[in-house]
Order: sequence, then C-alpha cells, then structure tokens
Amino acid sequence: MSVEKLASQLEAILLKRIEGDQLVLPTFPSVALQVQEVLKDPEAGMKEAAAALEKDPVLSARVLRMATSAAFAGGTKKVTLSEALARLGTKTLKSLLVEASAQKLFVSRNPQINEQLKVLWEHSVAVGTMARDVLALTGAPESEGAYLAGLLHDVGKPVVATVLLELERQLTDVHQRAWIDSGEWLEVIGKVHRPIGVALAERWQLPAPIVASIKESAEYDKSDRHSFANAVCFANAVAKKTGIYAGPVDAEDNDAIIMIGRSAIGISDEIIRTLTKGLRERVTGLYD
Amino acid sequence: MPAILTVDDSRAVRTIVGKQVKELGFEVLEAEDGVQGLAVLAESQVDLVLLDVTMPNMDGPTMLQKMREAGNKTPVIMLTSESKRSIVAGAMKQGINDYILKPFKPEELRTKVLSVLQGEPGGVDSLVQPEAAPAAASAGGEPPAAGPNASGNRFVDVLLVDDMDNVHKKLRAMLPPHLSMNAFTSAQQALSAARERVYRVVLVDTEIPDVNSSVLAQQVRVLQPHAAMVALTLRTANDASTEVKDLGFDSVLFKPFRPETIDDFMLRYFDNQDFLLVEDNVLSLAAFSGKADRVERFYGRLHAVFPEALEKVAAACYDDVVLDLGQPPGEADRLAKFVLAVAAKSKEFGMTLCLVGPEGAKKALGGFTETQELRFFPSVDAARTGAA
Repeated sequence: MSVEKLASQLEAILLKRIEGDQLVLPTFPSVALQVQEVLKDPEAGMKEAAAALEKDPVLSARVLRMATSAAFAGGTKKVTLSEALARLGTKTLKSLLVEASAQKLFVSRNPQINEQLKVLWEHSVAVGTMARDVLALTGAPESEGAYLAGLLHDVGKPVVATVLLELERQLTDVHQRAWIDSGEWLEVIGKVHRPIGVALAERWQLPAPIVASIKESAEYDKSDRHSFANAVCFANAVAKKTGIYAGPVDAEDNDAIIMIGRSAIGISDEIIRTLTKGLRERVTGLYD
Repeated sequence: MPAILTVDDSRAVRTIVGKQVKELGFEVLEAEDGVQGLAVLAESQVDLVLLDVTMPNMDGPTMLQKMREAGNKTPVIMLTSESKRSIVAGAMKQGINDYILKPFKPEELRTKVLSVLQGEPGGVDSLVQPEAAPAAASAGGEPPAAGPNASGNRFVDVLLVDDMDNVHKKLRAMLPPHLSMNAFTSAQQALSAARERVYRVVLVDTEIPDVNSSVLAQQVRVLQPHAAMVALTLRTANDASTEVKDLGFDSVLFKPFRPETIDDFMLRYFDNQDFLLVEDNVLSLAAFSGKADRVERFYGRLHAVFPEALEKVAAACYDDVVLDLGQPPGEADRLAKFVLAVAAKSKEFGMTLCLVGPEGAKKALGGFTETQELRFFPSVDAARTGAA
C-alpha cells in the first residue's frame, strides 16, 4: 500500500473514531505514575500535580477536555492545567490517571520508530516550554497558557501513531507481513496529524487559543502579535532548528519563520540565545 | 559617517525611519522605489539599505536581486509589512541581513541597524544552532578587555570610554577593587563590548578626537538601555551639568578625579552594596574617603546593612565574626555606637565579635566603657587565630 493511500485510509478511520468518541489514546505510564505520586504527598497541591502532568500532551488534553466538559464547565474555558485540575478535584484526577495507566503501552517493535515516538513527545514539551518563555519574556499579558498550546500543537501525532501501532501489530502478529519503515511511518504521520489534531480539539471543545495553535498557520497573525498561535509557530520552528524534531524540515522555510517571528513577536536575540541554549537538555530523558 | 539608504514608497515611513537613523548619527538617503534605490546605490557610497517589499515600478525583492546580480554586497535589512514566509525565505536566499516587521518599535530599528553596521553575523544561524554542535552564545566574540578587572563576566559595573590610558588607570585606582570595569580608548571597541555585556554605568569622555560623544552615548544607550550614562569632562566655569544633559547624558563626572567626586559617584550609582563586604566570617567596612558631611550617611547605611551580613555569617555556622574596620571616619562616638550594635546583634546570633583595625580605631573605642572589653586584633589573620 502506498504512503498516500495508507494516509488517506488512516485519516478516514481516525475521523470516524473521533466522531464516535472511540479513540484509544496513548500515554506514557511514567507520567501518570509521577502525577499519582505527587497526589499522595499531603504537602503537594494541584500546581505540583500540573507540573508533573504537563509532560504528557495526551494526558493534558484529556484533563483539559474533562475540565471544560459540560459536567465541570463553569464560565470561561481554562487554558492552564492548574486551573483545569482545580476544577476537576483530586478524586476525578485519580480515576482519570488509573484509566490512563491501563492504556496499552506506546511501543513499536521497530526501535527507530520507538526513538521517534520519544522525540515526538520531547518536541511537544520543547515547543510548550519555549512558547511560554517567549511570551513571558516579551511582556505578553498572558503567557502561562502558551505552554499547553505548545504542548498540544501536535496532539494529532500520537493519536495517528497509536493507530499505526495497532495496524503494525495486526499485520506483523496476525498476518506475519512486513510493516512500513520509520521514514514512511513519519511521512504518514506528517500527512494526517494536522486534520486529526484539529478534529480532536474541536470535538473535545478545547479552548479556542489551543485549537488555533493546532491548526496549521501559514503566516503569523499580525493583528495579535502575542497570540498563543504566534508563540507556538515561532517555538515550533526554533525546536526544529535546534534538532528536537522527528521528521523532515524545510530549512529555508523554517529559517524564514524564525526571522519573521523574532520581529513579529518582538523577541530580542539575547532572549532567543538564552532560551535555546540547553533546550535539548531540558527535554531529553523525560520518558526514559 | 555611515550612510543609510531607506527605500520605501511611503513618505511617512521614510520620514520616521530617517529621523531614527539620524538620531543615531548616520546620514540618510531616500528612494521611493527599487528603480530610484538602484540609482542612489550607483551614485553614492551606502553602508546599509532599509528595504520595503511592495513598491511601484520595482519592488524590494527585485531591487535586491539586481543588487546582488551586479555584485553589490551592501547589507540589507528588509523593513516591511510583508510577513509571507515564502517572500522572506526568498529574500534570505538573496542575503538580507535582517528583517523588521511594520509597525515596528524604534528600539528594534536602532538595535538592528547598529548590529548590522557593526558587522554582526545576523541571520537565524547565529541565534539558533543545532544542539549537537557547540552552542555559540556569543555572536561577536569577546570584546577587547582593557581594564584591570576586565574578565569574561557578562555583568560589569563600569564601562569607561576615554582615549587617554592614564584616565583608565586613575579611575581604576580610585574605584573600590570589587567593582569591575572595562575601559576602552575607541568608540568601536566600546560599542562592541556594549553589545556583549551588561553595564551598570557607562562613562564617556566628551572630548575623544573624531568622535561625537553625544552620538556615541546614544548608540551605547540603545545597547544598554538600563545603564546610567555619565559624561566625563574637564571642570570648567560653565554649567557642565546642564550641558551634558542636553547631549543626552544623565550626569557628569569631572576630571581630574578627586576622592570626593568619586565618593559622590559611588553613592549615586553603587550605593549600599559597597559599604560592607562579607567574606566567610569577616565583615569589612568600605574605605571612607568622602566629605565630612557624608559620615552620617556612611554610618546610616552601615547600620542598615550589617544585620543581613551577620545573618549570612550565622547561617554558615561560624562561632566568631570578625569586623574589619579598615580606616573608619574619625568620629569616635559614631564608630562606637556602630560597633556596639554589631556586638549586640552578634550575641543574639550566638557569635562572638572580634575587631580588626588600626591603632587609632582601637584608641577611639578604648575611650568608651562599653567597647573596652571587645577583643581587638591588628589583622584579620591574627583575629582568626586569636578567635580560634
């Protein structure tokens, strides 16, 4: 099956599952475990739980979804995890974590694909961190929510990856057939993840600034220079330039995004140097 | 004087840009479109082009392409409301040095103009590098260091620009040793340093040959927006304070330096952190060389800062604290009052106070019954040995 055909079929399957609310979502048990540990500590609060939780985009999205759902909604949509967790309460969070821990492991038989799964997670954390810090250091009125926007900007990728892993198991275990290589794997994800991420975010009614950050934006928004979407667009390009990214990068296009973003958002060169230095160290090993 | 060509079909933009650039001390040339721009480049020596994208007759990218095809490598900053990445990526391929999105803040224009004219590499590669490669945090390399305390430290107390080496030496000798200082004889060196480091106070000589000190001060201020700008000038009958403010400085420091003027300078810009130094369990009073009317302020600051200093020593679990009086101002009652306050507070923390100072201080304190009993040593080493 060609990459195009696989991507097209995959998109159809996923959209149907999102519509029917039948997605199986991947998560790294280590993050769920860390949050559970934090909740056992009587001294720790929701802020500490949020700090542990915010390393996993899928878990974060689920928490956000629940907090903004009809059962918990009360006024404005929440764009920080602390706010969302405060609304949910410890009991609800614990049951969500138990459910998340029970999900199947996010592991491929292909070690290269496994490596890319890890980088995919690290890239999301790097973009979230960078987006938040960029807005905070440029004096934007709201920066904290940018972390979540950055963390979730590629939320479609793990969702697509999960279904690909499902197919991998079916083909290799049941039918004893060869599976695609890691290059094709990335290509399929690259083609499908964006509409899936947007469909998921809209279906789950995630806050509008987060949905805007997931949608691929061809250009910066000049009317709202400090928007989450602009910060995420810039942070995404910087993370790619730094090498914290799995997949092909159009270097010239990426450099142009950085060049425009530093003026559009108003980021000094000093800030960019400071934020990029050690970025890889800050995200490496999160899921080892 | 560097010349900057601004190519933009909007007269308002050319006027605003021209004003900003002139304030930096540069000559401004104008063109309404790419055709005019190329004509100006053919006739004049231009050091930098500020180029719009959308213009009638010939747009910015076409003008840029024609410049490069003709072998013209003049630096270009794209200054435009165009933010399409395909257009910017194309311009980057043609070798633009930087990009500014309209509307822009004056600081951004000034910073980027100065940066390009100083030969900074610019571009995205100088800012973000793959982390597998060694991180290049500094784009321009280390600035030349000329002061005795010049070091790799990014945060430096004083930047001095004066064409006379002797002025560097004199000021260095009169400032407390713990203050760091970079001194340069040329404006170019100073600007280079100002791009790399962060200074608290910048001193600029108003009489450097072939340098407009007012323009230099403005250029440094763009790079060091939080530093105090102080003019160095000879003492004259004129009202120099007003004159230097008109030139864009915050204040003036007169040459030749005198202890009292350095004292004023220190009080103004380095205030309380210099009155009492802490090292291990030794508190050292800064040397007092100011006017008599500063004595009260000197002791007032000491009373304000010593409890925190003692707390640090106590937190490090020392049993004894040594107070090195140095050369305190000769007012025995104020000195005795201060020493007693330190002794009382030390006792509260469970520490014993030892004093170090010259014979004169010992004598002065011996005149008060309350301070007679305190242990007095001629040196810090002797106090440490004696206390042990």
